Amino acid sequence: MTDPRTNRPDLMDPALVAGLGSIELVARRIVDGFMQGLHRSPRKGFSVEFAEHRQYQPGDDLRFIDWKVLARSDRWMMKLNTEDTNLRATIVLDVSKSMHWTGAPGRLTKAAYAERLAATIALILLRQRDAVGLIRFDDQVRSVIPPRSRSVHWHRIVKALDDPGAGLASDAPGGLMRAASMVGRAGMVLLISDLLMDPVEVADTLKGLASAGHHLTVLHIMDPAERDLAVGAIEAEFKDPESGQKLAATVADVREAYRTAVVESVDEWRQHLSGAAASHEVVLTDHPFGMPLRRAFMNRQILP
Amino acid sequence: MSFLAPMALLLAGAIAVPLVLHLLRRKTGEAVEFPALRYLLRAQREFSRTLKLRNMLLMLLRIAAVLALAFAAARPVGRMVGGGHPPTALALVLDNSLSTSAVVNGESVLARLKNAARDALARASAGDRAWLVTADGRVVGGDMNAIRDAVDRIEPFGGAGDIAGAIARAAQLVQSSGIPARQLAILTDGQASTWSEVAALDGISVTVFAPAVAPPRNRAVVRAVPEPPHWTPRGVIRATTSATDSVTFRVMLGGKATARGTAAPGAEVSVRLQPTERGWIAGSVELEPDEMRGDDTRWFAAHIGAAPAVVADPGAGAFARTAIDALVQEGRVTRGSDVVIAGAEAARRPAVLFAPSDPVQLGAANRALQRAGVPWRFGSARIGPAPVRGSGLDGVSALRWYAIEAVPGSADAAVDTLARAGGDAWAVAGDGYVLVASPLTPEGTDLPIRAAWVPWLGAAISDRLGGDAGAVTEAAPGTVVARPSWSRELEWPDGTMHAVTDARMRAPTRPGVYFWRRGTARGGALVVNAEVAESDLARATVASMQARLAGSDVAVFGDAGSWTPSVFAVTGRRALEGTLLIVALGCLAAEAFVTRAVPEGTEETD
Repeated sequence: MTDPRTNRPDLMDPALVAGLGSIELVARRIVDGFMQGLHRSPRKGFSVEFAEHRQYQPGDDLRFIDWKVLARSDRWMMKLNTEDTNLRATIVLDVSKSMHWTGAPGRLTKAAYAERLAATIALILLRQRDAVGLIRFDDQVRSVIPPRSRSVHWHRIVKALDDPGAGLASDAPGGLMRAASMVGRAGMVLLISDLLMDPVEVADTLKGLASAGHHLTVLHIMDPAERDLAVGAIEAEFKDPESGQKLAATVADVREAYRTAVVESVDEWRQHLSGAAASHEVVLTDHPFGMPLRRAFMNRQILP
Repeated sequence: MSFLAPMALLLAGAIAVPLVLHLLRRKTGEAVEFPALRYLLRAQREFSRTLKLRNMLLMLLRIAAVLALAFAAARPVGRMVGGGHPPTALALVLDNSLSTSAVVNGESVLARLKNAARDALARASAGDRAWLVTADGRVVGGDMNAIRDAVDRIEPFGGAGDIAGAIARAAQLVQSSGIPARQLAILTDGQASTWSEVAALDGISVTVFAPAVAPPRNRAVVRAVPEPPHWTPRGVIRATTSATDSVTFRVMLGGKATARGTAAPGAEVSVRLQPTERGWIAGSVELEPDEMRGDDTRWFAAHIGAAPAVVADPGAGAFARTAIDALVQEGRVTRGSDVVIAGAEAARRPAVLFAPSDPVQLGAANRALQRAGVPWRFGSARIGPAPVRGSGLDGVSALRWYAIEAVPGSADAAVDTLARAGGDAWAVAGDGYVLVASPLTPEGTDLPIRAAWVPWLGAAISDRLGGDAGAVTEAAPGTVVARPSWSRELEWPDGTMHAVTDARMRAPTRPGVYFWRRGTARGGALVVNAEVAESDLARATVASMQARLAGSDVAVFGDAGSWTPSVFAVTGRRALEGTLLIVALGCLAAEAFVTRAVPEGTEETD
């Protein structure tokens, strides 16, 4: 009997899934698999249901006056529907040069993994009638797609993912500030980055976003080789592709210390981000896409 | 510390490998693009001290391992606490001279020495080289089993041997071994007469075992001489014994006891014999056995022949006739014309010839000598008196004589000079003649009026003119002797014949009488007896032995239990390569441990 998990792209090897085709195709398959795993209809719970009343104010659209309440109680009340409370999400994607790296030839680069993950998240949200926007940044903001909830909007997002990037630095605060300015009311901001940057500055920016009522989620993309210093060389001169800084080291000598440094660094990020009311998830590029998707959405209970 | 293979120390240069790798490690290796460099920097920063210490420790361990391996390959030898000994070149010098056959407290000294030698060899290890050198000149090398077998087979030598030569030979062996640790282990009875020569033993450790036992009282025959060597057929055996009290002796001749007697301590005894046998015959003077049997018998050889027939030439004078009458009366000669006593002017052979009493006849005398084949001529006249120096001629003076000169080209002129007077040859002898430079008159010499006249004449006739009896060669066991040119075969006491080809040969090691063969008959004798000094069992002092072993590291022990541990204990040094290999392995194990060790403060990342 065939394990149904083997047929679900969201649980397959990301490199294998990526080989199925374009980002668009891959994202659709992942979403289909992901939704199938939830055992819930993506349409269920999606409707223009009544949400609440509020006092009519001059200038309000007369179409939303609740005439039944007016008839029964002679009060002018405005009827607010769930359509009005749909999520406005902005995906802030790091496309700096450090993201375009993989520790193994058959593995996706962090950027490729993140792009497919962003496309997948966007598609899920759009299918929920949520508005989704995209901001790509490296040392500057490269692409800005304002949040929209129309289904065709996803194609714009996918197309934007193909835009150039790979700058020599990661200006996450800039991208986050741009996201805050785009989302007029409280929404969700999803930062996808390898976080090879200063956590304090990013955390400060996120605190500002959190105070504005945004739900913040950070997907920390990491290649397994970055976690374990699993490079093929014994003696190597390591070079940072962004800063050009070099460091010679014997892998066996420093591996354990490196692992400790990674753990400590991840803990620091977690502490900083928790202070900013942001959830933090480490996503390894050899993990199936379903894992970060579930973590990203389960934290906020925003799944359909 | 010293090294058996010092060239291997060059391997120590390999320490440059870990050193250079350590120093240049930041410049080696391939370039790797790595975005998470900040983590690596952080690791380096936070654990740099630990890493530096760890890297330094690794470098030191690797260098130590290389050095230990290099030193081990160089095969070091040095002082170190612990058992074992370094590879040692050991020469056992075992004194098996006759004196070691003395029995003390029921066991021979040689047996004690052999037991000690076995105990010493039991301490040998695989890296040792050993030789056994005995006083009789034998050298045995090879593996330890061969040497142990050789020790077991050692028998007492018949004579003193050459212990000094054995020590010198042993020293050469260990010095040429190429092994730094060298030792001579000398096992001897410590006989005082043994230590007469100084052996140079610089750079060699010497340990001596001389059993501290009192030597037994020894009786020995120290002299047994037949007189004259050629009996006609009567003769005398003169013997001397060495003993602290009177001893009984017997004289054996041709295997039969011919005389017995008692000899006072140190006194010479004379035994007159007139055997019936003829020709060369072996004899011995024997004592009752004592603690050292080897010197209880002393051998001699005598040639027994018929009395020569002698006549005095009318011109020889009354002294010659009177002497012949006396010799005839003694039975030493008979009357006949085989040998003549005459003036040189009537020279013939065999004869005892005197210078002419009348100087006018000097020319005729020289011509007669020439015709007779005598290689001497009378020269210028000499006027004395001058004392005559020669065997049996004590107190005799030459009053008038002629210088007798050898004919040029005569090979045996010098050898056959019997007596000299005033610097000239006075009496010479050769094949069938005895020539005297003075006339046989009271004006020429006082010999005929001296008591020595008749005995001298009798000895001259029997020894020189009694026929070609051959010669007796006296030798100690194992010493070098000259083979008579006319003999190619030696008859041993057991009757077996042994071919002799070399002009010089070593005398047999077993005392006894050996006969030179001339054709099918005995032509002479080789008498082998132990050295007289070997019968003196007095011990040398420790100081005396140390003084004669001229080395810087000489130890003398009287007890085997104390001596045995000193063998192979050459300055307490031993091979260190095994220890160094262990050190190297320890360094490599530690290096592997440190390499795998997780620095403090690290933990696994999930």
